[in-house]
Amino acid sequence: CSEYQKVLTGDDIGNKYAMADSLYRKGKYKKALRLMEQIVPAYRGKPQAERLMYLYANTFYELGDNYLAGYQFERFADTYPQSDSVEVAAYRSAKSYAKLSNRYSLDQKETYTALEKLQGYINKYPNSDYREEANASVAELRLKLDRKSYETANQYLRIEDYKVAIEAFENFIVDNPGSKFRSQAFLGRLEAGYRLAINSFPALVKLRLLKAKEYYNSFNKYYKDSEFSPRANEILEDINKRLAAYPTETETETETTP
Amino acid sequence: QQKDLDSGRKYSINEITVSGAQSFNEQTVIAFTGLKKGDRIYVPGEKLSAVTKKLWEQNLFSDIAFYVTNIEGENIDLELYIVELPKMNEVSIEGVKKGRIKEIIKDNDLKSGVKITKNLLTTTKNNIVNNLQEKGYYNADVIISTTPEIDSTGIETAKNMKINVIKGERVKVSDIEFIGNEEFSDAKLKRSMKKVKQKNLFRILKRSKYTEELLEEDKVSILKKYKSNGYRDARIVSDTLIIKDDKNVALRLNIEEGKKYYFGNIGFIGNSVYTDNQLRQGLGISKGEVYNGVLLEERIADEKPDAEDLTNLYQNSGYLFSRINPVEVAVRNDTIDFEIRISEGKIAYFDHVTVVGNDKTNDHVIYRELRTRPGQKYSKRNVVRTIRELGQLGYFDPEQLTPNFKNVDANNGTLDMEYSVVEKGASQIELQGGYGGGGFVGTLGLSFNNFSLRNIFNKEAYKPLPMGDGQKLSLRAQGSSYYQTYSLSLTEPWFGGKKPVQLSTSFSHTVQYFYDFRNREADRDQRFLITGGSVGLATRLKWPDDFFTLSQAISFQHYNLQNYNTRLFTFGNGYSNNLAYTIGLSRNNTGTNPIYPTYGSEFAITAKLTPPFSAFSNTDYKALKDRRDVLVAEIQDTGGTVDTQQEIGEIDQERFKFLEYYKIKFKGTWYTQLVDKLVLRSATEFGFLGAYNGDRGIPPFERFFVGGDGLGSYSLDGREVVQLRGYPNQSLSSVDGNTIFNKFSLELRYPITLKQLASIYVLGFAEGGASYDGFRDYDPFGVQRSAGAGLRIFMPAFGLLGIDFGYGFDPILGGNQPNGWETHFILGQQF
Repeated sequence: CSEYQKVLTGDDIGNKYAMADSLYRKGKYKKALRLMEQIVPAYRGKPQAERLMYLYANTFYELGDNYLAGYQFERFADTYPQSDSVEVAAYRSAKSYAKLSNRYSLDQKETYTALEKLQGYINKYPNSDYREEANASVAELRLKLDRKSYETANQYLRIEDYKVAIEAFENFIVDNPGSKFRSQAFLGRLEAGYRLAINSFPALVKLRLLKAKEYYNSFNKYYKDSEFSPRANEILEDINKRLAAYPTETETETETTP
Repeated sequence: QQKDLDSGRKYSINEITVSGAQSFNEQTVIAFTGLKKGDRIYVPGEKLSAVTKKLWEQNLFSDIAFYVTNIEGENIDLELYIVELPKMNEVSIEGVKKGRIKEIIKDNDLKSGVKITKNLLTTTKNNIVNNLQEKGYYNADVIISTTPEIDSTGIETAKNMKINVIKGERVKVSDIEFIGNEEFSDAKLKRSMKKVKQKNLFRILKRSKYTEELLEEDKVSILKKYKSNGYRDARIVSDTLIIKDDKNVALRLNIEEGKKYYFGNIGFIGNSVYTDNQLRQGLGISKGEVYNGVLLEERIADEKPDAEDLTNLYQNSGYLFSRINPVEVAVRNDTIDFEIRISEGKIAYFDHVTVVGNDKTNDHVIYRELRTRPGQKYSKRNVVRTIRELGQLGYFDPEQLTPNFKNVDANNGTLDMEYSVVEKGASQIELQGGYGGGGFVGTLGLSFNNFSLRNIFNKEAYKPLPMGDGQKLSLRAQGSSYYQTYSLSLTEPWFGGKKPVQLSTSFSHTVQYFYDFRNREADRDQRFLITGGSVGLATRLKWPDDFFTLSQAISFQHYNLQNYNTRLFTFGNGYSNNLAYTIGLSRNNTGTNPIYPTYGSEFAITAKLTPPFSAFSNTDYKALKDRRDVLVAEIQDTGGTVDTQQEIGEIDQERFKFLEYYKIKFKGTWYTQLVDKLVLRSATEFGFLGAYNGDRGIPPFERFFVGGDGLGSYSLDGREVVQLRGYPNQSLSSVDGNTIFNKFSLELRYPITLKQLASIYVLGFAEGGASYDGFRDYDPFGVQRSAGAGLRIFMPAFGLLGIDFGYGFDPILGGNQPNGWETHFILGQQF
């Protein structure tokens, strides 16, 4: 270790480079990083810089400093577009941004950045070895965004703002056609429509029950045998029971919602 | 030799050379371009322009060009010609003070190594000159010169910059002359000029100075003055600056007043949502009034976001796309007819409503506070209200909250709203040590305002603490040589997650030892223990409006005395229980920034009640009281015996086994924005403590103590410490506290900075208050008065720090001289 200290405090950048390299190979990233930080400016523009900058970025990657890893890999890929390592660098840069992405209930800025980078990577290297991994990351991030907007809509249902909940679920259904949460969103809209109806002024109840029934029908059209069907059917039963209480008349009126 | 380039074909690079570079290695530059021998590129082509752009972006060169030096078949030789910008070595500034030199260097970024561009030279010069002119140095000038820095080999390595600032004299306006004014006197017009002031010995707040910009602003003010008094056509024909000497200038303004006009018929066109009458009422201008262009503009679209003007009438009910234009349709002699043309547009509805920037706070905590939700009609008022509610949460920097309008679609009548928030530190640490109350006092307080209770056992959430669910957890321990206090409280603002019902629970425990002030010793055998807890619910009401909150709480405290005899406690080995129900109604609509409210008011009325135990008890309190009075008289006459003391103690123990009282408090605070950011805070407070059963009497707990900084050091026996600056702590009440108090206070506040890092404001105050024993003594005008000034610093991590200097105009109890100056330190308290 004393030799490390000697090199660390010394002036010979060649020695530092060699030692950083060997430490890196041994997996001693923290120590390697301290050396690299000293020599990176000195090597800028020199032929060895390409390798050094790659190791530098990789050290951040290994140490889990995703923010700097993402940045350094991106910089590497921009500066050395001809490098053999550029594909790996581009992938790791995107991957680092993906790791930075917050949990679904927080700001998703990094998620969007990661998606953009991953998509860029997939487009640029369609035959890469990491393609599957990259696609899996994209799917995971998209799911996160889906979950975010689903949970937001669901919260309006929870705080009993039914009209808003219906609108939010409708937005979700329109915006996310292939989402995993789509069946839940259909059920959520039904649930909100149903509860809005039964908590309305007597004059509005029937109209809104009919509207809720429409929501049931569209749920049933797509997700007849899903895990949420029992609850949907339960609601339908109650809607029908309540509607039966009204004398039959022409059922052409529908509520005008903005 | 000139060879034609075939732009449609690729060339292979044979050689690249760099010319013009001085300090850069040729290889470095080539490596940076990313071009290599053998690369196949189009010339000219995308690749070369990308390289050029990349080089430009370095901001190191003043010229970049590629030349083709040779073409042989497919092979091409390139020359990259670059001219480096001179680098700065050193800057020297003359003609200004040292502190200012640093500022100039910082403001213009004149670090060594910076590239000296023409732009840098011009902006630096302009910045310095403008800055001086703003301060009144109208004749200021700046000369910048550069000299080469030569190293020992005779090569120029960099340039030195020399800035010579010629400040000149501060120019004052010695005279302002008006020509052509008949309606308004010179003095009146001068008064309407807010920026350029004539030299005057008696005006100390605003110094006389002159710049062209300030004069332009004032010309607008003068015309505004005319326009709001009927002179629609008024104009300033010419303004002349007369330079009298180095220090003085004079102004001559030539005014053409024109005719005085009156409002004629005002018609409305295009309105379908509101009737002409409704709009006319909203406009508030009627036929025959003196023409007032300024008022007309204000009534149609004021600058204030919450103004009651015609624009907001539409904006608050969904008409985002509405446009209102007043048009003069006819001028008959001195009467102007108006037509107010309204294009209402479609009603706009919110489509997507999102929040960005919340790196710590979970969505559900924020979305539940939003007043604008998907599917709802657009309302400007609700957008403003949302910003206020988010600011009040205390998790975000209130000055950086912004509503972003997105995808505004006039055809579909929809818009998306994105609220952008910036998280700020919501936790506070209070670590204090000090000398107070006769000994060392240490406090450790932690308050986490955005805690996440459900993650308390989740290891991953500790970064460094589980945050983001909007709960508030406070822990506090305070200790000194004669007392220790521990307390814990937890607040959940949306109990159950469905409705804004705030649940708060707290627990506390205090041990107090008898303290002998003369020997400065605590006697640990004489102890007074207080243990208690409370549970409360607070609900936001919908009626009369949703700024109201109804709160209820049940609290219990057990007082345990062990060999603790003082004047107050006659039952030295007894106990007392305090079971009470508190109900409060409050309204708070103060402005966005909770640390520095600029508008709105705050009211709270609370009643704390104990069950009327004596009504159900068989104890004859009348008899006890009579007996006690006899015993007290005996002590006064003869000094009494140990037995008399003990009997009083026994009676008091019976009286206070379960405390019985009711306490009513009222507090009202108003914030008024006077000018600019100067805010007046006016407040009044009142409290009353009474007994249901006169014979049982008012308990020795729960009383009011007036005077001082208002910081309750160990107020767990229910006492209320009321701030009244200019007097020592609790000096305006009797030793055992009083049962009635009132207080009036006026405070002027002016902010120095309201940044996220620290909010600082200065204040001046005048206040008065007093406490009484019973309504017989009550005299709302016989208050003790004080006035003074102070400073507050709020830093998110430390809470509020402040200092006040107050002068007490009245004597404290038992004195006859004015109390004089007192210094108060304010810590962690917000009021």
